[in-house]
Amino acid sequence: MTPLAHYLIFSGILFSIGLAGVIIRKNIIVVFMCLEMMLSAANISLVAFSRAQGVNGVPVYDAQVLALFIVAIAAAEVAIGLALIVAMFRARKSVESSTLNSLKD
Amino acid sequence: MESAISSILFYVFAAAAVLCAFGVVAFRNPVSSAMNMALCFGFTAAVYFGMGAQFLGIVQLIVYAGAILVLFLFIIMMLDVKAEEHVRKSFPMACIGVIIAGIFAGFVTKVAISLPGATDGPCPALVLCDTIGDLAPGAIEEKPAEETLAPYGAAMPKLNPAAAAMTLGADEATAAKATAFPDTKLMGQALFTKYNIPFVILSFALLAGTVGAVALGRKIRKD
Repeated sequence: MTPLAHYLIFSGILFSIGLAGVIIRKNIIVVFMCLEMMLSAANISLVAFSRAQGVNGVPVYDAQVLALFIVAIAAAEVAIGLALIVAMFRARKSVESSTLNSLKD
Repeated sequence: MESAISSILFYVFAAAAVLCAFGVVAFRNPVSSAMNMALCFGFTAAVYFGMGAQFLGIVQLIVYAGAILVLFLFIIMMLDVKAEEHVRKSFPMACIGVIIAGIFAGFVTKVAISLPGATDGPCPALVLCDTIGDLAPGAIEEKPAEETLAPYGAAMPKLNPAAAAMTLGADEATAAKATAFPDTKLMGQALFTKYNIPFVILSFALLAGTVGAVALGRKIRKD
């Protein structure tokens, strides 16, 4: 069986790719996708811990319930975030994050 | 044998998921990014299945790859987003992003391999080689699992259907006959007993999210 450390490393790599995407990309829709990827990466480590900490071969289901809650919150967040992006597109006619500079100049 | 196959599948799916995640960041066209993200979520769901979390795997497929991705594609289609044609010289920014993410990944790896007991067992690659060697006829024989595992032990504990059936209230004779692991039953039990109130509150959060999305998305009248 694969050790817990490898699941955690996998989750960390996925999270950092998402982080890099959030920093690098200008298109705000892709930035949002990378945020979703980071949430999903955190879920992997939750499920891995739930399995590894299990007593007598039964996983700890608290962690999996928490992962389910994260998925539900992510769904609500996507609905609101995409509505915000649509509102931003109406105001700025663009989805580039570099156009959001009204506080800068 | 069985555990070796599940290890191999974990590495294959993990590598594919990481590759697709790179695709999300690297592709210029947002639609390609969205498709790569769908694949990435699909492979993540496969990893969940490998861990025995079938319910979460299905939820991952239905909610992430089904609902969220379709929402993203609808918005990309509605806003008619073009690929970033005029790429400005954002090389310094890309370097900063890669460096920060690299440092983060390094830290996570360091923490993961310095967990107590994380490096106690043999290297999984060696275990795989051993197992492939063991595939010679007559040599297939499960090695006895170690009885005492470190808290974050080198190997994940095996799922135990009988113990799970006992948790669900079956008597010993029935439990001993259990073969499949009742993942969804246990999940539902946790969700509707211990976490019932948070679950209800969560539904209110979803309702508030829906109302908020409608309020933000409607046209603002200028008069």
